[in-house]
Amino acid sequence: MKTQRIASILAVVLGLTAVAHAASPSNDRILALDRYTSDKGRTLAATYGATLKQINTSIYHCMPWLEVPKEGIGFYKPRDASRDDRYLALRVYIEQEPSTQFTAMPIEQRASSMFSRYVGPLVRRMSGNGAMLTDSSLDGFTVILEWLKEMPLSGGRPVHETIAVFLDKETAVEYLQGMVKAPDLAERARVYGWDGETPLGRLRLASWDDNFVSTYKVANYQLEPGVSCQ
Amino acid sequence: MGSRGWRFLMIGGALVMLAGCASGDEWRTWREHPTHYASGDHGFFSLRNREGKTAKVTRGDIALARDEGWWGKPITVSSEQILER
Repeated sequence: MKTQRIASILAVVLGLTAVAHAASPSNDRILALDRYTSDKGRTLAATYGATLKQINTSIYHCMPWLEVPKEGIGFYKPRDASRDDRYLALRVYIEQEPSTQFTAMPIEQRASSMFSRYVGPLVRRMSGNGAMLTDSSLDGFTVILEWLKEMPLSGGRPVHETIAVFLDKETAVEYLQGMVKAPDLAERARVYGWDGETPLGRLRLASWDDNFVSTYKVANYQLEPGVSCQ
Repeated sequence: MGSRGWRFLMIGGALVMLAGCASGDEWRTWREHPTHYASGDHGFFSLRNREGKTAKVTRGDIALARDEGWWGKPITVSSEQILER
Protein backbone atom coordinates (compact mmCIF):
# COMPACT_ATOMS: atom_id res chain seq x y z
CA MET A 1 0.00 0.00 0.00
CA LYS A 2 2.82 2.33 0.92
CA THR A 3 4.60 1.47 -2.29
CA GLN A 4 1.50 2.32 -4.29
CA ARG A 5 1.22 5.69 -2.63
CA ILE A 6 4.84 6.54 -3.33
CA ALA A 7 4.43 5.44 -6.93
CA SER A 8 1.36 7.63 -7.37
CA ILE A 9 3.04 10.68 -5.87
CA LEU A 10 6.08 10.15 -8.07
CA ALA A 11 3.87 9.88 -11.14
CA VAL A 12 2.10 13.14 -10.32
CA VAL A 13 5.39 14.97 -9.71
CA LEU A 14 6.95 13.62 -12.90
CA GLY A 15 3.89 14.47 -14.94
CA LEU A 16 3.57 18.01 -13.63
CA THR A 17 7.28 18.63 -14.13
CA ALA A 18 7.07 17.55 -17.75
CA VAL A 19 4.05 19.75 -18.47
CA ALA A 20 5.53 22.79 -16.74
CA HIS A 21 8.86 22.41 -18.51
CA ALA A 22 7.31 22.21 -21.92
CA ALA A 23 5.08 25.27 -21.42
CA SER A 24 7.76 27.92 -21.04
CA PRO A 25 10.83 28.88 -23.07
CA SER A 26 14.23 27.98 -21.78
CA ASN A 27 16.41 30.84 -20.61
CA ASP A 28 19.41 29.29 -22.34
CA ARG A 29 18.02 30.58 -25.65
CA ILE A 30 19.51 33.95 -24.61
CA LEU A 31 23.27 34.45 -24.61
CA ALA A 32 24.33 34.81 -20.97
CA LEU A 33 26.15 37.95 -19.86
CA ASP A 34 29.33 36.07 -18.99
CA ARG A 35 29.51 34.67 -22.53
CA TYR A 36 30.10 38.06 -24.17
CA THR A 37 33.61 38.87 -25.30
CA SER A 38 33.27 42.65 -25.23
CA ASP A 39 31.93 45.19 -22.77
CA LYS A 40 29.84 46.75 -25.50
CA GLY A 41 27.90 43.55 -26.12
CA ARG A 42 27.61 42.75 -22.43
CA THR A 43 26.32 46.24 -21.58
CA LEU A 44 23.69 46.08 -24.30
CA ALA A 45 22.57 42.67 -23.05
CA ALA A 46 22.35 43.92 -19.47
CA THR A 47 20.47 47.06 -20.47
CA TYR A 48 17.93 45.27 -22.64
CA GLY A 49 17.70 41.99 -20.77
CA ALA A 50 13.96 42.35 -20.34
CA THR A 51 13.53 42.92 -24.07
CA LEU A 52 15.53 39.78 -24.86
CA LYS A 53 13.31 37.76 -22.53
CA GLN A 54 10.24 39.24 -24.14
CA ILE A 55 11.50 38.22 -27.59
CA ASN A 56 12.17 34.70 -26.35
CA THR A 57 8.77 34.39 -24.72
CA SER A 58 6.76 35.91 -27.53
CA ILE A 59 8.30 33.73 -30.21
CA TYR A 60 7.86 30.64 -28.07
CA HIS A 61 4.17 31.23 -27.53
CA CYS A 62 3.08 33.29 -30.51
CA MET A 63 5.13 31.69 -33.31
CA PRO A 64 5.31 28.10 -32.08
CA TRP A 65 6.39 26.77 -35.47
CA LEU A 66 9.73 28.52 -34.93
CA GLU A 67 12.44 27.05 -32.72
CA VAL A 68 15.08 29.29 -31.17
CA PRO A 69 18.28 27.32 -30.52
CA LYS A 70 20.49 27.65 -27.47
CA GLU A 71 22.11 31.13 -27.40
CA GLY A 72 19.99 32.05 -30.41
CA ILE A 73 19.25 35.53 -29.04
CA GLY A 74 21.87 38.12 -28.16
CA PHE A 75 23.86 41.18 -29.14
CA TYR A 76 26.38 39.55 -31.43
CA LYS A 77 29.04 40.98 -33.71
CA PRO A 78 28.60 39.99 -37.38
CA ARG A 79 31.58 38.00 -38.66
CA ASP A 80 31.97 40.40 -41.57
CA ALA A 81 32.21 43.48 -39.35
CA SER A 82 35.61 45.12 -39.08
CA ARG A 83 34.80 46.83 -35.77
CA ASP A 84 32.97 45.65 -32.67
CA ASP A 85 29.60 46.37 -34.24
CA ARG A 86 26.83 44.91 -32.13
CA TYR A 87 23.64 43.73 -33.80
CA LEU A 88 20.66 42.31 -31.97
CA ALA A 89 20.63 38.79 -33.39
CA LEU A 90 17.93 36.15 -33.52
CA ARG A 91 18.36 32.66 -34.97
CA VAL A 92 15.32 30.50 -35.65
CA TYR A 93 14.65 27.12 -37.20
CA ILE A 94 11.46 27.25 -39.25
CA GLU A 95 9.57 24.02 -38.87
CA GLN A 96 7.64 23.13 -41.98
CA GLU A 97 7.11 20.10 -44.09
CA PRO A 98 9.55 19.68 -46.95
CA SER A 99 7.75 19.97 -50.26
CA THR A 100 9.02 18.96 -53.68
CA GLN A 101 7.71 22.21 -55.11
CA PHE A 102 9.67 24.29 -52.63
CA THR A 103 12.78 22.12 -52.94
CA ALA A 104 12.71 22.43 -56.73
CA MET A 105 13.07 26.18 -56.58
CA PRO A 106 16.53 27.75 -56.91
CA ILE A 107 18.14 28.58 -53.57
CA GLU A 108 17.72 32.30 -54.24
CA GLN A 109 13.96 31.84 -54.57
CA ARG A 110 13.71 29.70 -51.45
CA ALA A 111 15.79 32.24 -49.56
CA SER A 112 13.76 35.14 -50.95
CA SER A 113 10.55 33.43 -49.86
CA MET A 114 11.83 32.92 -46.34
CA PHE A 115 13.26 36.43 -46.21
CA SER A 116 9.95 37.96 -47.28
CA ARG A 117 7.97 35.87 -44.87
CA TYR A 118 10.01 36.30 -41.73
CA VAL A 119 12.63 39.05 -41.68
CA GLY A 120 10.29 42.04 -41.46
CA PRO A 121 7.97 40.59 -38.81
CA LEU A 122 10.86 39.34 -36.71
CA VAL A 123 12.72 42.66 -36.82
CA ARG A 124 9.50 44.35 -35.76
CA ARG A 125 9.19 41.92 -32.84
CA MET A 126 12.88 42.30 -31.93
CA SER A 127 12.69 46.08 -31.75
CA GLY A 128 10.39 45.76 -28.74
CA ASN A 129 9.13 49.11 -27.53
CA GLY A 130 11.66 50.92 -29.71
CA ALA A 131 13.85 52.14 -26.85
CA MET A 132 16.98 50.42 -28.12
CA LEU A 133 16.64 52.07 -31.53
CA THR A 134 17.90 55.33 -30.06
CA ASP A 135 20.85 53.64 -28.33
CA SER A 136 24.04 54.55 -30.17
CA SER A 137 25.65 51.26 -29.07
CA LEU A 138 23.24 49.24 -31.17
CA ASP A 139 24.46 48.97 -34.75
CA GLY A 140 21.79 46.84 -36.39
CA PHE A 141 19.78 43.63 -36.47
CA THR A 142 20.67 40.09 -37.53
CA VAL A 143 18.05 37.52 -38.45
CA ILE A 144 19.24 33.98 -39.10
CA LEU A 145 16.68 31.69 -40.70
CA GLU A 146 17.17 27.98 -41.23
CA TRP A 147 14.88 25.31 -42.56
CA LEU A 148 14.93 21.67 -43.57
CA LYS A 149 16.28 21.39 -47.11
CA GLU A 150 14.51 18.16 -47.94
CA MET A 151 13.10 15.10 -46.25
CA PRO A 152 16.09 13.15 -44.92
CA LEU A 153 16.69 9.73 -46.37
CA SER A 154 16.09 6.83 -44.04
CA GLY A 155 18.82 6.86 -41.44
CA GLY A 156 20.39 9.99 -42.90
CA ARG A 157 20.93 13.24 -41.06
CA PRO A 158 18.71 16.16 -41.98
CA VAL A 159 20.34 19.02 -43.86
CA HIS A 160 19.35 22.59 -43.15
CA GLU A 161 19.58 25.59 -45.41
CA THR A 162 20.41 28.83 -43.66
CA ILE A 163 20.45 32.51 -44.47
CA ALA A 164 21.96 35.19 -42.27
CA VAL A 165 20.45 38.62 -42.82
CA PHE A 166 22.24 41.72 -41.55
CA LEU A 167 20.38 45.02 -41.45
CA ASP A 168 22.24 48.13 -40.35
CA LYS A 169 20.34 50.23 -37.86
CA GLU A 170 19.52 52.99 -40.31
CA THR A 171 17.84 50.51 -42.64
CA ALA A 172 16.00 48.80 -39.79
CA VAL A 173 14.72 52.09 -38.38
CA GLU A 174 13.59 53.29 -41.79
CA TYR A 175 11.81 49.98 -42.36
CA LEU A 176 10.08 50.15 -38.99
CA GLN A 177 9.03 53.72 -39.72
CA GLY A 178 7.63 52.71 -43.11
CA MET A 179 10.20 54.65 -45.12
CA VAL A 180 11.75 51.46 -46.51
CA LYS A 181 9.13 49.13 -47.95
CA ALA A 182 9.26 45.34 -48.00
CA PRO A 183 10.27 45.15 -51.70
CA ASP A 184 13.35 47.28 -50.95
CA LEU A 185 14.39 45.55 -47.75
CA ALA A 186 16.39 42.69 -49.29
CA GLU A 187 18.30 45.12 -51.46
CA ARG A 188 19.35 47.08 -48.38
CA ALA A 189 20.40 43.95 -46.44
CA ARG A 190 23.58 41.87 -46.43
CA VAL A 191 22.53 38.26 -46.88
CA TYR A 192 24.74 35.16 -46.73
CA GLY A 193 23.65 31.60 -47.36
CA TRP A 194 24.67 28.08 -46.36
CA ASP A 195 23.70 24.66 -47.68
CA GLY A 196 24.21 22.53 -44.62
CA GLU A 197 27.69 23.57 -43.52
CA THR A 198 28.75 24.69 -47.00
CA PRO A 199 28.91 28.46 -47.47
CA LEU A 200 27.10 29.79 -50.51
CA GLY A 201 28.52 33.28 -50.18
CA ARG A 202 26.56 36.46 -50.42
CA LEU A 203 23.10 36.10 -51.91
CA ARG A 204 21.16 38.69 -53.87
CA LEU A 205 17.53 38.26 -52.91
CA ALA A 206 14.20 39.75 -53.84
CA SER A 207 11.65 40.60 -51.19
CA TRP A 208 7.97 41.37 -51.16
CA ASP A 209 5.05 41.81 -48.83
CA ASP A 210 4.03 38.56 -47.16
CA ASN A 211 1.29 38.53 -44.53
CA PHE A 212 1.76 34.91 -43.48
CA VAL A 213 3.04 35.66 -39.98
CA SER A 214 0.17 38.01 -39.21
CA THR A 215 -2.51 35.71 -40.55
CA TYR A 216 -1.36 32.14 -39.96
CA LYS A 217 -2.73 30.28 -36.96
CA VAL A 218 -1.76 26.78 -35.91
CA ALA A 219 -4.98 24.81 -36.06
CA ASN A 220 -6.65 24.47 -32.67
CA TYR A 221 -3.69 26.09 -30.92
CA GLN A 222 -4.54 27.29 -27.45
CA LEU A 223 -2.35 29.90 -25.78
CA GLU A 224 -1.19 29.27 -22.25
CA PRO A 225 -3.26 31.11 -19.61
CA GLY A 226 -2.07 34.68 -19.19
CA VAL A 227 -0.29 34.83 -22.54
CA SER A 228 -1.44 37.17 -25.27
CA CYS A 229 -0.13 37.68 -28.78
CA GLN A 230 -0.43 40.83 -30.88
CA MET B 1 10.19 -1.02 -5.45
CA GLY B 2 8.50 -4.23 -6.59
CA SER B 3 7.11 -4.92 -10.04
CA ARG B 4 3.64 -3.97 -8.83
CA GLY B 5 4.93 -0.60 -7.68
CA TRP B 6 6.51 0.07 -11.06
CA ARG B 7 3.24 -0.81 -12.76
CA PHE B 8 1.40 1.77 -10.65
CA LEU B 9 4.12 4.31 -11.40
CA MET B 10 3.80 3.84 -15.15
CA ILE B 11 0.00 3.90 -15.14
CA GLY B 12 -0.16 6.88 -12.81
CA GLY B 13 2.33 8.85 -14.89
CA ALA B 14 0.47 8.13 -18.11
CA LEU B 15 -2.84 9.20 -16.60
CA VAL B 16 -1.43 12.45 -15.29
CA MET B 17 0.14 13.28 -18.66
CA LEU B 18 -3.08 12.63 -20.50
CA ALA B 19 -5.17 14.59 -18.03
CA GLY B 20 -2.80 17.56 -18.20
CA CYS B 21 -2.58 17.83 -21.97
CA ALA B 22 -5.27 16.17 -24.00
CA SER B 23 -7.44 13.12 -24.18
CA GLY B 24 -5.91 9.87 -25.38
CA ASP B 25 -7.54 10.23 -28.79
CA GLU B 26 -6.44 13.83 -29.13
CA TRP B 27 -2.90 13.03 -28.18
CA ARG B 28 -2.72 10.08 -30.58
CA THR B 29 -3.90 12.29 -33.42
CA TRP B 30 -1.30 14.89 -32.60
CA ARG B 31 1.50 12.35 -32.35
CA GLU B 32 0.66 10.90 -35.73
CA HIS B 33 1.53 14.24 -37.27
CA PRO B 34 4.61 15.44 -35.46
CA THR B 35 5.90 17.49 -38.35
CA HIS B 36 3.49 20.15 -39.18
CA TYR B 37 2.95 23.78 -39.82
CA ALA B 38 3.08 26.31 -41.92
CA SER B 39 0.56 26.61 -44.59
CA GLY B 40 -0.02 29.83 -46.39
CA ASP B 41 -0.65 31.57 -49.59
CA HIS B 42 2.29 30.22 -51.56
CA GLY B 43 1.12 26.67 -51.84
CA PHE B 44 4.46 25.05 -51.16
CA PHE B 45 3.85 24.78 -47.46
CA SER B 46 1.38 22.21 -46.32
CA LEU B 47 -0.41 21.70 -43.10
CA ARG B 48 -0.95 18.23 -41.75
CA ASN B 49 -1.90 19.29 -38.30
CA ARG B 50 -4.81 17.22 -37.04
CA GLU B 51 -6.69 17.07 -40.31
CA GLY B 52 -10.15 18.14 -39.32
CA LYS B 53 -9.91 17.24 -35.68
CA THR B 54 -11.02 19.90 -33.24
CA ALA B 55 -8.89 18.96 -30.27
CA LYS B 56 -6.92 21.75 -28.62
CA VAL B 57 -3.16 22.00 -29.00
CA THR B 58 -1.04 23.61 -26.29
CA ARG B 59 2.53 24.86 -26.54
CA GLY B 60 3.54 21.95 -24.33
CA ASP B 61 2.00 19.50 -26.83
CA ILE B 62 4.03 21.09 -29.61
CA ALA B 63 7.27 20.85 -27.66
CA LEU B 64 6.68 17.18 -26.92
CA ALA B 65 5.63 16.37 -30.48
CA ARG B 66 8.69 18.16 -31.79
CA ASP B 67 10.92 16.06 -29.59
CA GLU B 68 9.26 12.89 -30.84
CA GLY B 69 9.47 13.95 -34.47
CA TRP B 70 13.14 14.85 -34.23
CA TRP B 71 15.10 13.47 -37.13
CA GLY B 72 18.46 13.70 -35.45
CA LYS B 73 21.22 16.28 -35.23
CA PRO B 74 21.03 18.37 -38.39
CA ILE B 75 23.88 19.29 -40.68
CA THR B 76 23.87 23.06 -40.48
CA VAL B 77 26.17 26.04 -40.17
CA SER B 78 27.27 26.86 -36.65
CA SER B 79 26.50 30.27 -35.22
CA GLU B 80 30.24 30.77 -34.68
CA GLN B 81 30.70 30.89 -38.46
CA ILE B 82 28.22 33.78 -38.69
CA LEU B 83 28.59 35.69 -35.45
CA GLU B 84 31.08 36.50 -32.73
CA ARG B 85 30.15 36.64 -29.11
